[in-house]
Amino acid sequence: MSTAADERTHLDSRGHRLRVFLGGSKVYWLILPAFVFFLIFFIVPVLSLFLISIDKPVAGVVDPQWDFTAKNFIRFFTRATYYEAAVRSIGLATLVAIITLAIGYPLAYLIAKTENPGRNTFYMILVLCAMQLDMVIRLYGLMVLMGDNGLINRSLIDAGWIEAPLPLMYNFAGVVIGLVQFTLPFMVLSLIGVIRSIHPSLEEAARSLGATRRVAFWRIIFPLSMPGVLAGSLLVFAISISSYVVPALMGGWKVVVMPIHIYQQIAELGKWQFGSAIAVVLFCTSVVAVVVYQRYAAVSAGGRT
Amino acid sequence: MASLTDTAVPSVPSPRRWSERNVSLTIQIGAWIGFVILLLPVFIVVLAGLNSGEYLTFPPEGLSLRWVVEFLTSETWMGAYLFSLLLALITMAVSTVLGTMAAIVLARYRFPGRDLLRAYFLSPLILPGVVLGLALYVFFVTTNLGLARTLTGLVIGHVLVTCPYVIGTVSAALVSFDQSLEEAARSLGADAWTAFRRITLPNISAGMMAGAIFAFIVSFGQFDVSLFLSTPDLTPLPIALYISLRYTFEPTAAAAGIFAILLVIVSMLLTARLVNMRKFGGIKFS
Amino acid sequence: MKKLQDKLGRPLSRRSLLKTGAALGAAGSLPLFNINHVWSQDVMYDGGVFDAEGATLNIGEWGGFWEEFVNKNLLDQFKKDFNCNISYDSSWPWFPKFVAGGPKNPVYDITNWNLPEMFKTAGAGDYFLTKDEIIANVPNAKDCWDFAFENGVGVTWGFGQYCYAYRTDLADPHPTNFKSFWDDQYGGGKRGTYITSNTLQMIFFLTASHVFGGDYKNLDAGYEAMRSAMPMKISDFTGNMQTLIERGEVVIGVQWEGEVYNQIDKGVPIAAMVWEEKKPILTQTKTISRYADPVAKKLAFALMNRTLSPEYAAEFGKTFYMRPTNKTAPIPDNLASKGVTNTADATNGMWIPDWHWYLENEDDVVETVNEIFAG
Repeated sequence: MSTAADERTHLDSRGHRLRVFLGGSKVYWLILPAFVFFLIFFIVPVLSLFLISIDKPVAGVVDPQWDFTAKNFIRFFTRATYYEAAVRSIGLATLVAIITLAIGYPLAYLIAKTENPGRNTFYMILVLCAMQLDMVIRLYGLMVLMGDNGLINRSLIDAGWIEAPLPLMYNFAGVVIGLVQFTLPFMVLSLIGVIRSIHPSLEEAARSLGATRRVAFWRIIFPLSMPGVLAGSLLVFAISISSYVVPALMGGWKVVVMPIHIYQQIAELGKWQFGSAIAVVLFCTSVVAVVVYQRYAAVSAGGRT
Repeated sequence: MASLTDTAVPSVPSPRRWSERNVSLTIQIGAWIGFVILLLPVFIVVLAGLNSGEYLTFPPEGLSLRWVVEFLTSETWMGAYLFSLLLALITMAVSTVLGTMAAIVLARYRFPGRDLLRAYFLSPLILPGVVLGLALYVFFVTTNLGLARTLTGLVIGHVLVTCPYVIGTVSAALVSFDQSLEEAARSLGADAWTAFRRITLPNISAGMMAGAIFAFIVSFGQFDVSLFLSTPDLTPLPIALYISLRYTFEPTAAAAGIFAILLVIVSMLLTARLVNMRKFGGIKFS
Repeated sequence: MKKLQDKLGRPLSRRSLLKTGAALGAAGSLPLFNINHVWSQDVMYDGGVFDAEGATLNIGEWGGFWEEFVNKNLLDQFKKDFNCNISYDSSWPWFPKFVAGGPKNPVYDITNWNLPEMFKTAGAGDYFLTKDEIIANVPNAKDCWDFAFENGVGVTWGFGQYCYAYRTDLADPHPTNFKSFWDDQYGGGKRGTYITSNTLQMIFFLTASHVFGGDYKNLDAGYEAMRSAMPMKISDFTGNMQTLIERGEVVIGVQWEGEVYNQIDKGVPIAAMVWEEKKPILTQTKTISRYADPVAKKLAFALMNRTLSPEYAAEFGKTFYMRPTNKTAPIPDNLASKGVTNTADATNGMWIPDWHWYLENEDDVVETVNEIFAG
């Protein structure tokens, strides 16, 4: 009886592969509805928006004028405030990805290793609850917690540990905290499945050969969970770099990242052309990140996917 | 007869019983720090919604249900809550169907351009939601298809940002599902569709359910995309919250938050009944 | 590349392509501009009540408590009297929504503005009716002072003065003039202002330019002033500023008098310090969209009429401390106690900057001030 693995090694000649693909199952058309949907409602609108990024910048005009120029992009890369925002966006997203990984991994590990179904469901509910709460109202909760007159500062000041309130909100730190809080569930959920699928006997074998728990973790488990780590990091990165609400509210409108510039240019100043040029840059940055991830994932997964 | 809660063959061969004692203390501490970070703001909001006074102070003035009552009797808030519910359900249905179909093709077949196609479906997540919402708004208005300021338009936006999640979870489920089972069924004489329906589908149902829940939750809490696509008659809860909090703070907003949380708990319990949570394979994007 | 143009010599756009296609199919090649123009002229309103048969009127106006008040004191009754529906949209900003649809597709029939955004929108296309068209169809408009029409775009129905809102229990000594904002006691982030797209911040900036640099067009002086005021808490709406001050996160903030008096009435330890060096005016102006649906437009006229009525002005004054522009409106006691009178020169000494000049320089101002805020 041929196994899936055999079948795949079988398929080294292109012709054979194509035959299996086309004749083996009629299900390949299943992808069409989604593909067409995305084409009409995502690709077309976004491309039209991107089209005007190479248009002449005129305030208040949203239709393409067919007057092409690179002015908008030149402006982006020559004015410090804009490319600094790009750097800030990337730095922020990377930092958030790292932090959520550090915090999310133990959490995912715990949930993955919980066999008791009741307990397991309970943990999952906790994670999903946190995810469910609207960002806007969560911000209020965070303000009560971290504001200058908030719970944390009040208790620290009353206990005499600090003199002046710690600036935890309305700055970069606040945005990081807000984004970590927001994206943590995504990271955790990406990791759970992968950790769970690591066969316990692998760790057992390492332990029986004399490795300590820590060594077994870093040498066996963590590397094996790389696909989940990368998937989670990518997801968190994408969400963080494109988030508007969190930097706007948690950053006190002072942490200027690209989505804020985009919103300001388009919605407040009516400079659709320039705004969409910024959107193009943001989009390309994220695409680069995805490509880097795909390459890295392919290498580290060693062809298992 | 196979039901949703058990499968013909377990996807991880004979798992040993791991108990939490085998999880090191460091990891446990780390995990609980994670829980605290996740849940502290939630806790505060719940307290604010049950607070008897108008402004949340610590220690809280006292507990009262008055804001909860105000929420339940307020046309604006209940309207927004129920609308979000409706929107999320529709989005969930459409996303799950479209996403599962796409994931099946992506996960099982190797063909040139597959990676590009995966990125194609992931791309709505990469674009800032506000940009997507704006692009859609302008698109609807210019093409005059009657989609501007309608429920369908809003659903379209939501489906775009929830489909990737469905594709992710179903892909993950498909990867850990041993395709040789389906091939075995085929070799026994079943045609492609029956083999798929009887063998594969039940096994990836956990992934589909997870994807569906994800789609629901992401849609219910979606703000960025809804910002430009919503209208006063079609106002989802996050937008209602934002509008209200911009102008003034009312604890009724916090009460709305409490009900959103309750919704998650109920839907999670429901799913736990229907699907064995251990089968949840996670999310996979490549 | 040559700009594509249609028969009338206007640049070809997606919109006109689709519309022209439809029109060609339906009615031959009548230029659409004329059809709409004729359409927009045949709506007249004489001040009476009529049956709108369930039509919907689209409104763009501030939300929160303001919206509740407007519903209770104006719209609930309006809906009954005119048999119509009202779609009240408070998700500001209005400008991008107008522009995305174009003048022929106005997103609101009647809109409430602060001046800069209104000028910006008016400058982007033929969106609004002129003041003469409004006066011809809104009886109560004749009773308004001339200054209500000075803006040249819409009708100003209420106004107030700018001030600092400060905590009487946390500020010591209390602020006495415009420059008090920069006192050391408010260092460490106790000062509050708004995002660059909020009119209050624009005015604050221009006033600072005037006070520190001698001329409100002296942008550099303004930038310097913003720099030395940092760190500041940045809010996006006055409602949010109210919360910040109430929570003590901000001790002195830019505000307008109405909201401060409101908070005082609620018992918050707060007071208003009205600016004297320059007295900017915060106006509430309404416009009616030129290409609104005929029935909706008639309803808009009717609503405008009621908004300008002395009774409504008095109610608004009582609750929001809003000063009226209708010469027959009585001044309620609370306003009178602040020394407000209803005369033709009620706005004397009050200042409106040259918004057209500001809009020309807006890009630079927004970029620089945002940089300062972010720094």
